[in-house]
Amino acid sequence: MITALGLAELKLLVRNRTAAALAFAMPLLFGAFFALSFGDEGWTFAITLQVLSTLGFTVYVTITTSLTSRRQDLYLKRLRTGAASDAVVLTGVVLPAVLLGLVQAVLLVGVSVAAGAQFPSRPDLLALALVGGAAMSCAAGVATSGVTSTAELAQITTGPFFFALLGGGIWAMSSDDIRALLVPGGGVADLVGAAWGGEGRPGWAALSLLAWTAVGCVLSARLFRWDARSQ
Amino acid sequence: MRNPVIDVAALRCRYGDFEAVRGVDLEVDQGELFALLGTNGAGKTTVMETLEGLRAPSAGRVRVLGVDPHRDRAAIRARTGIMLQESGFPAELTVAEMTRLWRPGDHREALDRLDLGHRRDVRIKQLSGGERRRLDLVLAVLGRPELLFLDEPTTGLDPESRQRTWEVVRELLAEGTTVVLTTHYLEEAESLAHRLAILHEGVVAVSGALVDVLAAQPARISFDLPDRLDVRSLPILTGDVVHEPSGRVDVRTRNLQDDLETLLAWARRDGHALVRLRAHHASLEDVFHAARAGRQVVAA
Repeated sequence: MITALGLAELKLLVRNRTAAALAFAMPLLFGAFFALSFGDEGWTFAITLQVLSTLGFTVYVTITTSLTSRRQDLYLKRLRTGAASDAVVLTGVVLPAVLLGLVQAVLLVGVSVAAGAQFPSRPDLLALALVGGAAMSCAAGVATSGVTSTAELAQITTGPFFFALLGGGIWAMSSDDIRALLVPGGGVADLVGAAWGGEGRPGWAALSLLAWTAVGCVLSARLFRWDARSQ
Repeated sequence: MRNPVIDVAALRCRYGDFEAVRGVDLEVDQGELFALLGTNGAGKTTVMETLEGLRAPSAGRVRVLGVDPHRDRAAIRARTGIMLQESGFPAELTVAEMTRLWRPGDHREALDRLDLGHRRDVRIKQLSGGERRRLDLVLAVLGRPELLFLDEPTTGLDPESRQRTWEVVRELLAEGTTVVLTTHYLEEAESLAHRLAILHEGVVAVSGALVDVLAAQPARISFDLPDRLDVRSLPILTGDVVHEPSGRVDVRTRNLQDDLETLLAWARRDGHALVRLRAHHASLEDVFHAARAGRQVVAA
């Protein structure tokens, strides 16, 4: 059932040209831009930005927007009347964005490596950054959709977390201040840096991702709504 | 011992400060069609969504197929079919993709049954309103549910599609499915329902078996009072006689046959023509208007 829902969601994404362009092309364009602009100065910086923008655009913004518009269309309400449980419905609807984000991130890192970046010395930490970052962005997207009444409003409501993601990442890259790990994005940047041999604090960084994911889940449980009309 | 499919006692539902449902009791037996009627805003859809498990009641006891439908939704989800009053489709999926998403399989027969077979490969955004409503019904009955909720299933349908919908509902009833229906078309409820409840401002104003509810309301005889006649010259009838300003006489009686006989015998003897004479037992519409006017009718 999750597969069927996920495939349907992927079809909807592909058949909606604007959403598809945003989800497919935007992160790749940004990724290429980061590689060209910052590649020579330091590949870690470029790759971190690539990973963060993919998590931000493809996972976080796409999930917020699609859950909001599916709720607005009363499609989420319909799915609740079917045979699948709430958890299965939600997983099915968000899964394509999560998988797409992971594939794009891996693709961009691959492009950077092909363009001259080194292969990561600790690929396990890169994998942790991607999976943990995707989980955090996904939980944040579900929660944000709860306070977003229309798909157009998502452009505004996604702002704070999106910039916290990029800003936290840039902070963590540019200073040793451990407080950067308190911001979403700090943990991802720290783990990506450590994957390429940087000092890093992988333990604390992983904890930061876990904590932000937990916050996202708690807020989702409180804020997420299935029906556009009620309450 | 009776074992109702739906058992509701003292149900209350609140939206913030507004209490939409204010103490409703309902019982629905296995295999019957139960109609939930009422004006807009009477609380029908709120009751339906509570029974469907989509919303938690503010107070009261709700049992559907033996369990709390909100807390144990997993236990009844596969056994119920739900057609919401309003719900969306993903516009960019085709009809066949939507039915496959709902339940694996081909579903050609189910689509044909509601005249959608030829629209299988059409995207949902290209369907007419009536076609969407029929697709709604196809999805609700796809899993051959034991209990089916239909919230205004025929609103916006043309007469032919409405007939087709009724046929499908009758087939399901014949197979033993229990159906809870809300509708604004009283003749629909009158032709399909075994039992019914009329909600008014969040409470049950009328409930009972259709035949009992209809029998509890007086029958009516009406005609134009012949010229130059005074209403006092009419024969003595058992029912209440009202002479309306329009000149029409309206008799509400529990003895339709006797009163009609008296009236016709009088007219024949004295040579009066009773223009636009009508005599009929109470219709659901009469019951509905009485309920709205605040007259409580509770049949056994």
